[in-house]
Amino acid sequence: MLKIENLKIEFGKTKSENIAVENINLSLAKGKALGIVGESGSGKSITALAIIGLLPPKANITQGSIEFEGVDLLLLSKRERRKYRGQKISMIFQEPMTSLNPVMRCGKQVQESIILNQQLNKKQAKELTIELFEKVNLPRPKEIYKSYPHQLSGGQKQRIIIAMAIANNPDILIADEPTTALDVTVQKEIISLLKDLRDEYEMGLIFISHDLGVIKEVADDVMVMYDGKVVETGSVNKIFNSPKHPYTKGLLACRPSINTNLKRLPEIDDIVNGQNHLEKSEKKIHHPIGHPKPTLDVIDLTKKYTSKRGLIGNKRIIIKAVDNISFKVYPGETLGLVGESGCGKTTLSRAILRLIEPNKGSVFFNEKNLMKLNKASLKDQRKKINIIFQDPYSSLNPRICIGEAIMEPMLVHKLYGNNQIRKNRVLELLEKVGLREEHYNRFPHEFSGGQRQRIVIARTLALNPKFIICDEAVSALDVSVQAKVLNLLNDLKDEFGFTYIFISHDLNVVRYMSDRLIVMKDGKIVEVGNADQIYNNPSSDYTKSLIDAVPIS
Amino acid sequence: MIRYILKRLIYGLLVIWGVVTVIFFLFNILPGDPARMLLGQRSDISSVETIQKELGLDKPKSMQYLKFLNDLAPVSYHNFDHIDSYWYYNQEFYGKRHVIISSHGRGIVLKWPYLRTSYQSKRQVSAIIAEAFPKTLLLATSSIVLAMIIGILLGIPAAIYKDSALDRFLLVFSSFGMSIPSFFAAIIMAWLFAFVLADYTGLQMFGSLYSVDDYTGKEYLNLKNLILPAITLGIRPLAIVVSLTRSSLLDALSQDYIRTAEAKGLGSFAVVVKHGLRNSLNPVITAITGWFASLMAGAVFVEYVFDWKGIGVVIVDALEKYDLPVIMGSVLFISVILIFINILVDILYAILDPRVRLS
Repeated sequence: MLKIENLKIEFGKTKSENIAVENINLSLAKGKALGIVGESGSGKSITALAIIGLLPPKANITQGSIEFEGVDLLLLSKRERRKYRGQKISMIFQEPMTSLNPVMRCGKQVQESIILNQQLNKKQAKELTIELFEKVNLPRPKEIYKSYPHQLSGGQKQRIIIAMAIANNPDILIADEPTTALDVTVQKEIISLLKDLRDEYEMGLIFISHDLGVIKEVADDVMVMYDGKVVETGSVNKIFNSPKHPYTKGLLACRPSINTNLKRLPEIDDIVNGQNHLEKSEKKIHHPIGHPKPTLDVIDLTKKYTSKRGLIGNKRIIIKAVDNISFKVYPGETLGLVGESGCGKTTLSRAILRLIEPNKGSVFFNEKNLMKLNKASLKDQRKKINIIFQDPYSSLNPRICIGEAIMEPMLVHKLYGNNQIRKNRVLELLEKVGLREEHYNRFPHEFSGGQRQRIVIARTLALNPKFIICDEAVSALDVSVQAKVLNLLNDLKDEFGFTYIFISHDLNVVRYMSDRLIVMKDGKIVEVGNADQIYNNPSSDYTKSLIDAVPIS
Repeated sequence: MIRYILKRLIYGLLVIWGVVTVIFFLFNILPGDPARMLLGQRSDISSVETIQKELGLDKPKSMQYLKFLNDLAPVSYHNFDHIDSYWYYNQEFYGKRHVIISSHGRGIVLKWPYLRTSYQSKRQVSAIIAEAFPKTLLLATSSIVLAMIIGILLGIPAAIYKDSALDRFLLVFSSFGMSIPSFFAAIIMAWLFAFVLADYTGLQMFGSLYSVDDYTGKEYLNLKNLILPAITLGIRPLAIVVSLTRSSLLDALSQDYIRTAEAKGLGSFAVVVKHGLRNSLNPVITAITGWFASLMAGAVFVEYVFDWKGIGVVIVDALEKYDLPVIMGSVLFISVILIFINILVDILYAILDPRVRLS
């Protein structure tokens, strides 16, 4: 049904520069699912946009053909091309949060597509829209028809986008990272919904993801892309059981998984360069707690948010983001904290450091109650505890060169005598996190996501902390980069004897990193215990559902 | 939605009360005895005292303040036996008070707010404003409507064909339009279109909404006189609306939901108008209403150059002559207008962007 031959897309006008993708060949039959996997920048999204004809203006197709039911789409005029869009080929995008028009009712947005592509009047289109909402399992379809996007959750928005995409019975559905921004349990539901819809409508499905686990659940065939090229294609079984290309092998290996328990995660570059760590690597051992005195003792910590309703704010709704939470962290251990978005993990991490003031409770750090400290002594304590934030893109000031960014905390806390010593220390730190001296004067935009996270880690280390809170520190990174950063964190721990609180929504990563685990839901602790034990024998239903939802790879 | 509007109205009333208070105290700090100013040259003691009593100047400041509030409030308390201030002297002008409740010669009435009398012309301040304000309103409205329609219509192609010749031209035009001083633009416009090109345009260098017929001496409506001041006044808002529409539409067009709309198979016109434009209008509306509000306060220079007898000219005249009641009255009037415009804008935001209604 769909056949792509020799596709080459370039950016900019000058030839032989900036090749986005090259030599892409693929074919898709009715009712089949093709998975495209690769890191960010590997060209998978560009390929998808080329199929639907929505390439950004600066990208040009310089070679090849995209044939759909015998018609070469690239030879069509803009107007003819548009008729395919939405009607025969439709697409679901990565970011459900921003992919819907915020000022238009959800129902209207779906209806608009129906009226455009089918001979139906408004009333019929509305009925069809509500029918579609039922089909994608949206609760209360009639209410959702009238609601605006900001009133819905991420998963619900993605369902609306799916409803929009299938509204005109398309032949091909392209899903570009449709679940990456969603929680695991929601991801599981969306994937099964997509599979059901494919079977029902006999669509050809192109499923793009960086996550091999997800691809494995959906796809019949897999195409692995790396640096704008297809490195391997084959059936799911073939790719997963006997990968040929070293890159594919690396991708499969570098993800922390349930079955293997490696001390160091294999890094993709090593595998591509032919050094295989897989065999000689030792097992990772989760530390038992051997220390009587906890470093950090959190007792009954509570943070409430009130939202005012009513004419003069007379009705109050209290949301407990963190609800009476108590736990201990012992020196030298890594405590994992998992939970879905909105469970309060980030609020908790900030409340511990009083970056937001908690309403109640106490936090003892080395037997000092942080809640009772005045500003000066709190600042002193913050030297010893530090946070690595989620988004390496926005947690660095774009106008400050990275050397100075790392030096800044030293200046704030007046560490080391003079700037020369500080600079030497910064250079030392850069080396520690795997960057080079000449990076000192460069600016954040010159670095990739993984490198930026290294910079953030170096900045955290600048104060010689003993205790580090990693808040979703690797969530924004590709799996291969993620492996490197996780290894770095573990190496640093071995070297400096850090204590970590490791927060993530990704159960596999948390389990790999942590000795003990806390599972959170709705601001409360659901389960605490040894990481492996919880993973193998979860006692609460919630933990079970979390574990079940993780795609197995 | 109704609750949202009600809330805004209540806030508006509170702000008006604040403004009244500030104005009262500001003008009470100013030097000069209002009674003497009102009487001018012939100021014998008995008439000064009468006036002082009438204005309540013999009473403590707090009582004066309450009286001031009572005079302004549409619903107010009155003692019918007493010959109280303005209504008594100006019954013809203010018309009937509608008594809501009364007993023993006292009661609550519904009435127009009393603004006092001009020291200079002895005319009612309300009458002065009632004469000048419609002219300002007409001028401000027509120049803003002009700026808005042309500005949005030019801003859209500038955003769609970014970096094209049209876009570049508009950028140059808008920075020029933003930086040209209004009195200078007014003089140039008057000179060029009403003097150099007068034979072709048939326009006059100055004139207000009503002209006096040379032969019959009667006033007649002369809308032609509106053209030049309206265009002159519209230049700067137009420049701002063009560049704001352009930048904010460019921003909207780079959003994910635009790609979603394109993926539905919508044509580019529908994508821009239905999905892009509506998402980009908020800053444009803020700018337009901000300008509208400031034009209402009187575009003094332009009104002066074209001799358009609007509220701006009235205030400047009153300032020159230290005519306190006129200044107080006009400032108060303009503040109330601004507050109502702001409420309208808030409601407009809520209609355009459903997310506003939540907060």
